[in-house]
Amino acid sequence: MMAIRELKVCLLGDTGVGKSSIVCRFVQDHFDHNISPTIGASFMTKTVPCGNELHKFLIWDTAGQERFHSLAPMYYRGSAAAVIVYDITKQDSFHTLKKWVKELKEHGPENIVMAIAGNKCDLSDIREVPLKDAREYAESIGAVVVETSAKNAINVEELFQGISRQIPPLDPHENGNNGTIKIGKPPSQAGRRCC
Amino acid sequence: MCSPEEAALLRLEEVFSETLTRINSLVLQPLLTAAPDPSDSWGRECLRLLQQLQNSSQQLCKVTEESLQSLRERLHHPDSTGLESLLLLHSADRVLQVHMEYIDSYTSCVVVQAFQKAAKRRSEYWRSQRKELRQLLSGMSSEGSVGTALGQALRQPLTHHVQQYVLLLLRLGDTVGERDPARELVVHAATLFGNLQSFMRQALDQALATQALWHTLSSRLRDVLCTPARRLLQDSQDSPVTVTPLRAERALLFDDALVLLQGNNVHTFDLKLMWVEPGQDGCTFHLLTPEEAFSFCSKDPEGQVAWQWKVTQAVCQALRGKKDFPVLGAGPEPSEPPTCRCGAYTFYAEGRFCQATYEGEWYWGRPHGKGTLKWPDGQNHVGDFCQGLEHGFGIRLVPQASEDKFDCYKCHWREGSMCGYGICEYSTNEVYKGYFQEGLRHGFGVLESAPQAPQPCKYTGHWERGQRSGYGIEEDSDRGERYIGMWQADQRHGPGVMVTQAGVCYQGTFQADKIVGPGILLSDDDSLYEGTFTRGLTLLGKGKVTFPNGITLEGSFSTGAGRGLHTQGVLDTAALPPDPSSTCKRQLGLGAFPVESRWQGVYGPFGDFIRAGCPGDLREALLGFHVQSSRELRKSQEYLCCERTHPEDCVGRMEDILEELLQHREPEALQQYLRKALSNSLHPLGKLLQTLMLTFQATYTGIGANKHLQGLAQEEVKQHARELWAAYRGLLQVALERKGQAPEEEEDAETRDLQVHGLVLPLVLPSFYSELFTLYLLLHEREDSLYSQGIANLSLFPDTKLLEFLDVQKHLWPLKDLTLTTNQRYSLVRDKCFLSATECLQKMITTVDPREKLEVLERTYGEIEATVSRVLGQEHKLPMDDLLPLLIYVVSRARIQHLGAEIHLIRDMMDPMHTGGLYDFLLTALEVRGRGGGPRQKSPGRGGRPLSGPRHRRGISSNSQLMCVSMGRVLTEPLLLPLFKGAGCGDVGTVHPGSQLAGAEGVPGCIPEHHRRGKTPFPCRLWLRPELET
Repeated sequence: MMAIRELKVCLLGDTGVGKSSIVCRFVQDHFDHNISPTIGASFMTKTVPCGNELHKFLIWDTAGQERFHSLAPMYYRGSAAAVIVYDITKQDSFHTLKKWVKELKEHGPENIVMAIAGNKCDLSDIREVPLKDAREYAESIGAVVVETSAKNAINVEELFQGISRQIPPLDPHENGNNGTIKIGKPPSQAGRRCC
Repeated sequence: MCSPEEAALLRLEEVFSETLTRINSLVLQPLLTAAPDPSDSWGRECLRLLQQLQNSSQQLCKVTEESLQSLRERLHHPDSTGLESLLLLHSADRVLQVHMEYIDSYTSCVVVQAFQKAAKRRSEYWRSQRKELRQLLSGMSSEGSVGTALGQALRQPLTHHVQQYVLLLLRLGDTVGERDPARELVVHAATLFGNLQSFMRQALDQALATQALWHTLSSRLRDVLCTPARRLLQDSQDSPVTVTPLRAERALLFDDALVLLQGNNVHTFDLKLMWVEPGQDGCTFHLLTPEEAFSFCSKDPEGQVAWQWKVTQAVCQALRGKKDFPVLGAGPEPSEPPTCRCGAYTFYAEGRFCQATYEGEWYWGRPHGKGTLKWPDGQNHVGDFCQGLEHGFGIRLVPQASEDKFDCYKCHWREGSMCGYGICEYSTNEVYKGYFQEGLRHGFGVLESAPQAPQPCKYTGHWERGQRSGYGIEEDSDRGERYIGMWQADQRHGPGVMVTQAGVCYQGTFQADKIVGPGILLSDDDSLYEGTFTRGLTLLGKGKVTFPNGITLEGSFSTGAGRGLHTQGVLDTAALPPDPSSTCKRQLGLGAFPVESRWQGVYGPFGDFIRAGCPGDLREALLGFHVQSSRELRKSQEYLCCERTHPEDCVGRMEDILEELLQHREPEALQQYLRKALSNSLHPLGKLLQTLMLTFQATYTGIGANKHLQGLAQEEVKQHARELWAAYRGLLQVALERKGQAPEEEEDAETRDLQVHGLVLPLVLPSFYSELFTLYLLLHEREDSLYSQGIANLSLFPDTKLLEFLDVQKHLWPLKDLTLTTNQRYSLVRDKCFLSATECLQKMITTVDPREKLEVLERTYGEIEATVSRVLGQEHKLPMDDLLPLLIYVVSRARIQHLGAEIHLIRDMMDPMHTGGLYDFLLTALEVRGRGGGPRQKSPGRGGRPLSGPRHRRGISSNSQLMCVSMGRVLTEPLLLPLFKGAGCGDVGTVHPGSQLAGAEGVPGCIPEHHRRGKTPFPCRLWLRPELET
């Protein structure tokens, strides 16, 4: 039997960049979609194989509005990965993305895997953020980067595959403390309390 | 027709009756008139015996008359009255009884030579009566003394009479036909009187032997040993024996006791408490008595057999309490004395039992079974004994110096000392309920002083060899303090936390009741002191004060000259508000008392019980019992009662419990079973839970309801759930083992955690909920009050206004839900939108089970989504951008007052398996309420209340380097608060720098009302002296 690892993934990014659309696309058409509990498009799960493991993504959406920004730490605490989404047609959203990256670097969990998704690549004719910029930036912070189109289902799978690859395989001797959750095993209590 | 035998009987009775009358007047009456010297106790005793003999004689006379009457009746009306109407036949036993009584009285007189003695006193009279006597005793030799003659006169007619009875009855028997129903009666009567002859012979022999014995003994020994009723059965002079290891030159077996003589020493052993055991070789047998064991050794096997038989039969007879009939050893079955007996005995050997009297059950020479032990000093013990020692349940009363005061121990005992659970009520009205070992408090126990005591005190915790040792909670209601921490040798020793009535609490390391080294001191206004201080809460030595507004004062503190406190240090007024988790939400005691071992004394005995295989007899000793209102009981003198549930009560029989346990192993049945078991105090699990609740209440109610203890309490509840699960598993294994089934495999940590959190915790939580939730309430009081204030503000908003305020996208507004009356407008309707979700969320406070609360939450989300889908006319999956504002809307409309406390409690009690999962998400989303999600209040909480006006910051110039604070009172009470308050929050409004004494005395607001203990509020003065300004 393959080991199932639960991986908490949080979605960050401006409102309107299509965070939930990407997840919906990723999760949609999936056979166990009706079985897995969800909260609308805000909390979804999907299990994908990766090497000799199964990765069960627990995807936490966040509210993109500026006023809820202060809540974000509650969402990304304990995350194994963060998907930070920007809209390639909006330069502002790329700025916001940089802010998120900065915050994650400072306050986020250690070893969090960051994946940058430039959404709405189907609208590349009105593009404001060049792919090159995104690539360079991603390289500088060691993040996965892809341009996606939730609408046309481009690169969504790849995005999550990229994350899977970045997740260090489970060390049999040590229960990885990188925010991953083995099923049924509680992670260390550290960082759970936040008042 | 009347038979000639009957006629002969009639004549016999006539003669006998007449003889008795003559004997009475000629012998008994004159004997009785010889009044003895009043100082002669033996003489008086003889007189008593003679009177008794006369009574017996009269009885005999009476019964003879009756017999005569029945014979005459028969003679006159032989046809109407049958043979069975004869008294001799139908009441043969009664006639026999009267005869035996007479013989008893007579032989008693013989033993003490009553006739001789009485005759001697009136020798002249008797000489003159010689002739009449001779007439009475026809055919009697004229030799011998008067006494002997009198003895013969009193005996011979009876002997003759009985002999005739037997003869005539036997003859009568021959005449009665085989079929006649009366035949049996006749045979029976003949046998009885035949036996009576043997009885008389033996009684007389014994009496004569005994009389002879008293003659040969010294008068001292005679005085000690001689009683009229005592008969000699065997004498070592007749049949020699040697006694070992006791030394005895002579052994005398009486019918009630065995006596060993050595010189002038007499050793008497009660036969009722003597056990006979045959020896290995043919010449020895062993005797066991309560305090001595010895062997009889004869020269030859015959002697041994005779002695052993005699002793055994004598023991039997003594135990039956009446003489064997017709002869010794011919008593009813069994011929072997029982090994378990009842009896009383007073111990004489040095030791614990010296002079104590035991009354109760015995087994092979030792108290064994139920009994009562009484000491001459008034101490007594009622209860179970085993092998001569207190063992099992027992109640011991120990009288105290003042009259009518007792220490009462209702305990379990093992081999003579208190061991296991017990309740002790002391004469001082203190009560200890807990475990003992070797007579001392040991393990878990609660010692409580009388509520009306001048210094009421209560200790709940661990003991070691009679002293407080290990983890324990002590409440001193007089000082208003509760100590939670480690003890050693009756003193606070090791890490400890103190909470006080005034709200101050501290954590430190104790040594011999004193605080050593640095500690943490927290006041109820959330000021924090880290450093050294004393138990009197005097800051002494190096330390750092952090005020709620972030100002810190670091330096060395000391009591100044005279009264007061001085500080020299650095005041940093530029700091930011401190991290709440290190001040206002700081948790004390975490890590200091590992939760696994914290209540080991409670879990431990349960483990012992399981390991012992759940024996019913140890159940109470290990798991404890209840006594209700025992104090009243004792006062009513019925102190020997103990209202405890009897262990063998059918309700809680261990077999039934284990059987039921085996039948409920499937998840659902198991849950039901556990729920029932935990709520039943007769069930071991329920009992354990009760004790745990007791400790929990002792720690966290009253003074202990302090927010800084929430961490301790929370981990304790979880540990209790784990331990209860382990206890259940233990019981299960025992149940399986008893059934001969294979034990369950050791479950892995994952399964265990799943069961503990999913199954046990929800069942256990209600028992601790009120205390635990109070701690959460206190801990999150500030945010919750802010939050409810915010809610209150929002509740004034009409629905549409609120939706707009929360930036909910217009197309999601459920305006369909608003039905307007003619004079209403959308903009005015309140509490109508998302009503179903709101109402659902409100159900959260109706349950204590965190899992159920989470399910409520999940349904609430469902309701929101359903409403939105209905509004949009299609299924809609809400992204977080939309969901969050809606959620905030619903949460604010649900108006759950202590949502913060609820959320934290759920999170702490949630199965860790859910971390990162759906429930975690739900809960996190709900947490928005206090944080940015709610209406944006600009007020930063009480702790961060800005210094009342900048005057203080200006007043105490930020670069003032040195500062001296003193208070006008020796700090023997928790007076730290005003100091903190004054300096920190700026309540002391008139303090100015530069003034030597600029303090305020009794500044309003400086001392919270509840800090004033007693009637006088303490004066508080504060000096601020800026020095050496740079």
